[in-house]
Amino acid sequence: MKSILSIQNVSKSYGPVRALHTVSFDVPEGSVFGILGPNGSGKTTLLGIVLDVLIAGAGTYSWFDGMSPDAARREIGALLETPNFYHYLSAFDNLQITAAIRKKGKDDRIPILKQVGLFERKDSRFQTYSLGMKQRLAIGAALLGNPKVLVLDEPTNGLDPAGIAEIRELIRKLNKEGITIIIASHLLDEIEKVCTHVAILKKGELLLNGPVNEVLLSEDQVEVRAADMILLQQVLQKMSGIRKINGSGDTLNLTCEPSVTPVAVNEFCIKNGIVLSHLLLKKKSLETKFMELTNKG
Amino acid sequence: MKELLAIEWLKIRRFRTFWILSGLFIVLLPLWNYEISQGVIRAGGGNKGVNFLSTQYSFPDVWNNLGWWGSIFIMFISILVIIIITQEYSYRTNRQNIMDGWKKLQFYHAKVYLVIVLSFVVTVYFFLLGVVFGRVNSGSFTGVFDEFQHTAYFFLLTLDYLGFALLIGLFIKKTGLAIGLFILYSLIIENLLRGMINHYTDLPWGNLLPLQASDELFPFPLLRQARAAMMAQTPSLSMTVYTCGASAWCLIYYFSCRASLLRNDW
Repeated sequence: MKSILSIQNVSKSYGPVRALHTVSFDVPEGSVFGILGPNGSGKTTLLGIVLDVLIAGAGTYSWFDGMSPDAARREIGALLETPNFYHYLSAFDNLQITAAIRKKGKDDRIPILKQVGLFERKDSRFQTYSLGMKQRLAIGAALLGNPKVLVLDEPTNGLDPAGIAEIRELIRKLNKEGITIIIASHLLDEIEKVCTHVAILKKGELLLNGPVNEVLLSEDQVEVRAADMILLQQVLQKMSGIRKINGSGDTLNLTCEPSVTPVAVNEFCIKNGIVLSHLLLKKKSLETKFMELTNKG
Repeated sequence: MKELLAIEWLKIRRFRTFWILSGLFIVLLPLWNYEISQGVIRAGGGNKGVNFLSTQYSFPDVWNNLGWWGSIFIMFISILVIIIITQEYSYRTNRQNIMDGWKKLQFYHAKVYLVIVLSFVVTVYFFLLGVVFGRVNSGSFTGVFDEFQHTAYFFLLTLDYLGFALLIGLFIKKTGLAIGLFILYSLIIENLLRGMINHYTDLPWGNLLPLQASDELFPFPLLRQARAAMMAQTPSLSMTVYTCGASAWCLIYYFSCRASLLRNDW
């Protein structure tokens, strides 16, 4: 798959604090790419560097196969940290400035304000907006002029549950239309629901990256219950492909190799005279994976 | 340049502070000079006080006199420039402008062009006020272009003050602190430094400090003759030196801001 952003060995320090250390990865075209990491892991610093507001200490990056950085940025809708607008200007006037800098001739301010639900308030000054409205305006500004890529840093900040669901739907819809989306968030659940690819950062180091399915592959767990739990455990210990059995109350959690499916577990139990009363495949959540990775060392 | 200025105009055209501070400058500068020319503002008590400066509104004296007062009133526009630049930092729109596709240099040049345009407009206003005051008080246009170099001096003075304001704004970034430091520097710190430098040198090199260099282009009106006599007696610097000094400061502001903006994180 063609990459839309290529990051090579990017490092950055703030005095003695190492914010990023030789981070490299590619963002494939058409993906929803999640950048995850605890607070202070370097997510915003990394996005700041690829958007040219921060200067990398070392390393390189390139957008769209080496397009000039400022031309590339005009094809990218970006929201970094906070919604950044002129407080004394209305949404309409603020978007006019964004459009002028992006050199987008076609005036799509009205459909965009309708899309993010701010059309009724388009003439109100930015400073009168609630946090959620400010965030929606920032997403609207990022969408001006049909960008090829959206870079969204914590896009659901300040939004209520309905607003968060709206943004999720919007991301899915835009991605279907062919827009690549790079999203940094601490809301792992959100990332998991929409992302096709993920990169995990911790203290400025890239722990892993790749397609969500691959990253989470072989980490599935099977939950089982039966009338005789002791017998169940004894039987399952004989089954090949089960790496670990954890008991929690009246349930056993099996950590299995990729080849072990719930069907295989069920068949094995029946062959050994056990009827399962409960059988559940649990995809290891990104949150569990994330906590495991970021808590190591 | 036109494109950058058009975007700057979008930013300030509905900015109330811009209109209030510009309006105060536009109204107060002529009002103040009108009251002095009419003898309404006097030194000393009540309406028996003295007013020496009312004689200074005919051609060609009006140019220096108006320029001297202008160098005080230009503070309004200098503070405006500080607010315009520092609010980009407080709203983080400086970052957003870059993310939306401007080069860092384009963001900076948009502000530099704004400073140049403001200086030009203020100078045109200064010229119009000079013509009106001079015509009213001289009774004719005779000598209107004598000492006309003061119009160019005034452009340089405005550029020096606004350029310095831009520098303070870009380096300090916080509106309140930047305005405070600007006022403190222009009223106190520069005078302290000037006094110290001049105390230890034969020539008054302290007069070449950033704002003082252009202030020297407009000596206090009644002291002009005395100063001319004094300059013949004691070592002094010529108007050419002050003009070069003020111009050099404008270039120093430009290049130091440029280097800092390109080298540092935003």
